[in-house]
Amino acid sequence: MIKVMRKLASTRLTLVGMALLGIGAALSYDNPVSTPVWVLVVPLAFLAVNLLCAILTNSRINRRGGLLIFHIALFGIIVLAAIGRMTHMEAHLEIIQGGGFSQDDLINNRTGPLHAGELDKVMFVQGNYTVDYAPGMTRGLTHSHVMVPDGRGGWEEKVIGDDRPLIINGYRFYTTFNKGFSPMLTWIPERGRPVSGTVNMPSYPLFEFKQSNSWTPPGGKEINFWLQLDTGIDDQGHWTLDARKARGTLVINTSDKRIELQPGERAVLDGGVLRYDRLTSWMGYKLFYDPTLHWLFITAIFGIFGLATHFWRKFKALPIRSPKPSEGTLKPAWSEDQGIVPVDNGVQVTMATNKGQPNV
Amino acid sequence: MFEINGIYTELPWLYTGLAAYALATVVAIQGVVRVRGGSAGATVNRSYEHIVLGFALAGVVLLAMSIGERWIRIGHGPFVNLFELLMSQLFSLGLIYTLIYWRYPVLRPSAVVALPLMWILGIWVLTLDPAGSAFPPTYYNKWLWAHVGFGKIFLSFCLVGTGIAGVILLRGVKRVSSWFRQMPADTVLDALAWRFMLLAFIFHSLMLVAGAVWAQDAWGRYWAWDALETSSFLNWLLLGASIHARTTYRIPIRIGALLIIGIFVFAFMTYFGAPFYSQAAHKGVI
Repeated sequence: MIKVMRKLASTRLTLVGMALLGIGAALSYDNPVSTPVWVLVVPLAFLAVNLLCAILTNSRINRRGGLLIFHIALFGIIVLAAIGRMTHMEAHLEIIQGGGFSQDDLINNRTGPLHAGELDKVMFVQGNYTVDYAPGMTRGLTHSHVMVPDGRGGWEEKVIGDDRPLIINGYRFYTTFNKGFSPMLTWIPERGRPVSGTVNMPSYPLFEFKQSNSWTPPGGKEINFWLQLDTGIDDQGHWTLDARKARGTLVINTSDKRIELQPGERAVLDGGVLRYDRLTSWMGYKLFYDPTLHWLFITAIFGIFGLATHFWRKFKALPIRSPKPSEGTLKPAWSEDQGIVPVDNGVQVTMATNKGQPNV
Repeated sequence: MFEINGIYTELPWLYTGLAAYALATVVAIQGVVRVRGGSAGATVNRSYEHIVLGFALAGVVLLAMSIGERWIRIGHGPFVNLFELLMSQLFSLGLIYTLIYWRYPVLRPSAVVALPLMWILGIWVLTLDPAGSAFPPTYYNKWLWAHVGFGKIFLSFCLVGTGIAGVILLRGVKRVSSWFRQMPADTVLDALAWRFMLLAFIFHSLMLVAGAVWAQDAWGRYWAWDALETSSFLNWLLLGASIHARTTYRIPIRIGALLIIGIFVFAFMTYFGAPFYSQAAHKGVI
């Protein structure tokens, strides 16, 4: 068993594993759909086995504290990254101002096979948001107000945005550039109960001139919407996107009608009456969950600390010394016995004397 | 005050800083050429090294002034466009190299390799438009500072290692081999060069960790194989594999020197090449 482990711990195999990982990494550039995940998983698994065997059998690693910590950390990072991929969750969602988070709204959902988070306990309500723009429509800071349960039966307001995610039960919600307006509508059918909802228009101001969408009401025909917005947009100066200051005229197009509605107005259509209640907005979020994040960070820092300690001890024992320029004279003296290595012109430099081992 | 009649006021500081670096380079080359006759045991006047040190330090101070002036003018640090990246890199490479030049006299003749390498950046920055840049919202994160800082230290140690590796290779060129007679034997230089590459490896690792934390905060993922992430990971892997190979095989000194130069070139391409093959160095910048 030990014999096999020693063979698996070969530093030559390590180089093979590193080369394979390099190829896998190069193939993974920009996450092309055509590249399978195995180009990374196989070399990482190979290196994990190699590392584990080296930690257990290679005395040059397991008898040197710093180096041992570094290699254990490397192994730990591979294991944690694997656990992270198995348990992670990534998704996108759009939340209407005033609306609450719902799992049903998740889109592009990618979940690891062992994901076991408590997403059902996540609760927050979207408030207003603002986005600053510099001249030339360069996006600046986003301030998204959300209400979260304060744990005492009430609600607490938090301001998130850009690099400040909302973190609940390990689920991290990041604001995105994807946000826009939504007319809130009520459909009053000729028969049956009225229904209210919103139609999210494309991202604003990215698709400023394409603020259109369509919806088919229950029992009615498809309605095409076009939203004429007045947001005070200024692409030459500083401007803040703020839904509270925006006004929107809703243009309704059916097969035979074109009607313009202001908030509060209604239109009689085939199968019922459509009321444009008010203009609201939506914010697009990216959801990320990985329970190993903090452990990955700690393990990585621990590993680097181990490596730094190893080098520190090694270099401290073998400092770089040389005559100062002012001393001028270069002495032709050296002796390997004294830990001084030969030089071309007698410059005396103290370095390593590890027999047969490179000085690293 | 900071943009007079369309003139970018950081440029005079930048130009004089680059001139100081140029003078340091010239004096360093002239110095090693002059002392090449020094044979074993001979007394050699190395006072030129103080002049090199003075010019290099002046260059660092002037570049710091240039960065400060631009910072006040556009309202943010040198983190966004290539002009700013080159400016700040010239400053950090100069600062760390000057410190090492001052602290380790034995390495000083290698300045004839290291300082001209910095001139690639120096000439490049002169060709770029110094117009202001917009600071992306995700760049307000504190981890950006750690990520960039560690990266600069990594590249600086790579530069020192490359300077020494260059000396090892130049010693094989008959016409210039005598320039470096005052330096230790190749075996010692090899060990010294790899010592700096090991330090570079530590700071490269720290740069990756800090970058991952920043990326998690900024874009909701700690790793996504974008242009810079892929390239810097491959660079880290190449450096790690080279260190590993050196402990596994008896790599000839000259091959080792070529490896170090290869790592530096790779790092250089990672830092300054990514903008050419990627719309945004890091996704989410815009």
